[in-house]
Amino acid sequence: MILISFDIDGTLTVGDPPGILPMEMVRAVKEQGCLVGSCSDRPISAQRAIWASHNIEVDFTVSKHMLPDVKAEFAADVYYHIGDREDLDRRPALEAGFEFLWPHEAVEMPWVEGT
Amino acid sequence: MTENAPASMYRTDEGMGLWEHRGKVAAVGVGHSPTARRWDGRAETCVGAISLIALRRAIEDAGVDPAEIDGLVMDPVTTTGAYWPKDKPVPPEVVGAFNSTDNPLDGIAGLSAEWILKNMPELTGIDFTMYGPGCMSNAICVAAQAVGDGLTHTCLVLKSWHNYEGRYYQGGANAGSDLPGTAALHALWGTPACYGTALQFAEYCRKYGKNHDMMAPFIENSRQNGLKFPEGYWASHRPEEITPEDYKAARWIAKPANLFDNDLPIMVSAAYLYTTAERARNMRQKPVYILNHAASNTRPRSLTPTLDEVEADTARTARKIYEGAGITAADLSFENMYDGFAQFHQFHIEGLGYRGMKFGEALDFYQTDISIHGPNPILPSGGNIGCGRSRFWMHTDSIQQIQERAGERQVTGVKPEIAVSGGPMPLGGRFTVWSATPD
Amino acid sequence: MKQGVVPDDLTRPFWEAANEHRLVIQSCVACKHLQHPPAPVCRVCGSDTVEWKEMSGRGTIYNYGVVHDCPIRLLQEDQPFNVAVVMLAEDPGIQMYSHLPGTPVDEVPVGAEVEVTFEATANGQMVPEWRVVGSSGEGGEQA
Ligand SMILES: [Zn+2]
Repeated sequence: MILISFDIDGTLTVGDPPGILPMEMVRAVKEQGCLVGSCSDRPISAQRAIWASHNIEVDFTVSKHMLPDVKAEFAADVYYHIGDREDLDRRPALEAGFEFLWPHEAVEMPWVEGT
Repeated sequence: MTENAPASMYRTDEGMGLWEHRGKVAAVGVGHSPTARRWDGRAETCVGAISLIALRRAIEDAGVDPAEIDGLVMDPVTTTGAYWPKDKPVPPEVVGAFNSTDNPLDGIAGLSAEWILKNMPELTGIDFTMYGPGCMSNAICVAAQAVGDGLTHTCLVLKSWHNYEGRYYQGGANAGSDLPGTAALHALWGTPACYGTALQFAEYCRKYGKNHDMMAPFIENSRQNGLKFPEGYWASHRPEEITPEDYKAARWIAKPANLFDNDLPIMVSAAYLYTTAERARNMRQKPVYILNHAASNTRPRSLTPTLDEVEADTARTARKIYEGAGITAADLSFENMYDGFAQFHQFHIEGLGYRGMKFGEALDFYQTDISIHGPNPILPSGGNIGCGRSRFWMHTDSIQQIQERAGERQVTGVKPEIAVSGGPMPLGGRFTVWSATPD
Repeated sequence: MKQGVVPDDLTRPFWEAANEHRLVIQSCVACKHLQHPPAPVCRVCGSDTVEWKEMSGRGTIYNYGVVHDCPIRLLQEDQPFNVAVVMLAEDPGIQMYSHLPGTPVDEVPVGAEVEVTFEATANGQMVPEWRVVGSSGEGGEQA
């Protein structure tokens, strides 16, 4: 099982500022069978509203500091977080035991390889 | 050259009696620019350009001939933490789009009165300019006093904010490896801007047996009110509520201050038109009379204000506010004190004794009906939490509430007759008392 | 690690004393008022005759916060960390900040006694820091 956590602002095209990852990609990842959700500074209710408005059923919506909670709640073989910030995405992701991908790296969907 | 207002223009002392111009100065026009999270680099969205929009809208709103305007009071500083990088070239196409001053960053990273006058040729009658630096709270005190003193009879008041790419506060000295000795005494420990307020809040909670979760209804109410402020950032760009669950799940910035106890830096500009009570009668909008303005110049004894220092000063500020306006707390229809940071709003309103509140009681008050539809509205503007960082929503809202044109935000549980707004911090704030009538 | 410090005229005696592991605070010769941060004149009586007085290096913890999102790049790797406010024994109105080396994050004993220690910053300039009396003394950059 693969779990993928998406930052929103600066990462997804629906973000503020917009990032490069389209919602279709998240939908595709979900259809690959991955556990998918968002980890963002947006209010959790706003994260849920974004996913609902795109008809994507996600597995989690959490605040930025809650990747450890995600890891504790979901059993997966590998955990990824995709985000655009060193201090708020990369560092906390690595500390929480996630693999980290910048948005331009995530475009390639490197997790598909070898699974 | 435009000078800063002299200290004598602020009403800083207790025992000054009624303000000598009580009810003789009025706000008659409001203009706001659109908001943006950050500057996109275009000439038409730079801080100078959005200031021109706000000023022209205020003139239009008041229905005055621009040639009649003879004064401009404003803040030349347009940020508290977004710096233009030292080596970054100034975009020539932006500078070239305007009539520039000697400072190429004028209109981009700051704003002089000269820049405004060079770019508003319709303002042919201005012979008084003055800076009220700090925020709109300062500028409107200076404008009120200037109109009262007869230095100007029809005066624009302006406050603008720019914001750039990158994280706020993380440029400049914070990115470097060394600090000068004096700054180091404060800055070496890496405290975010909200730290001092968080400390006061921590002491407040210990002293009165309160907790951080008790702030949730205030945050929720502020954002709900802000979402009814069409000029605000959240209403126009990201209409997101902050539910109590959202608030409690947010990450800490400086515990006990979390992400939603902080406001979002944005670009925005607002302008008001101030005039004499006599002239106001012939203008388009219902005049909102100024009963008083008051100021605190208090500084902490040492590095950061203690709760005792905060409470002593908010009480002193309230006495000045009421004395000069000739009112008591019971006369307030609503309050619009500052909230950026959310955790000092209660200090302001406890000092005021709003609705009979005493020190340590505001967080319990927040658990009751504080909405715009109840008898005890708290921050109907939504403030910075509801609309983004400007430090002026509460002034605009006070004017519009009293004019009964606050739209969806209009208070319905009270008759909007007298209000107080001001800030920023409990120590060092500037405050205005607004009224539907001059007496 | 803390950013380096480049002493300026106003604060040079403070920083020089710190390099000698002494804590000094500005004191008014005329009215004996202690003040920190320092100023060119006494904030109480206005006298410009101010001197630097050595303190005992004892104090108590008045208050604290825990920094999770620090604006200073050099300190971001240490997040989250305590920043306490210490009141000096000589005058509780005089405050100093402290990372409280040795005290676990968010386990700060408000009201506890502390004693001064000195820590090197990025450029070698020493800075007063504070340690809870009787704590293990782990952490920090003890000189
Ligand atoms: Zn003295």
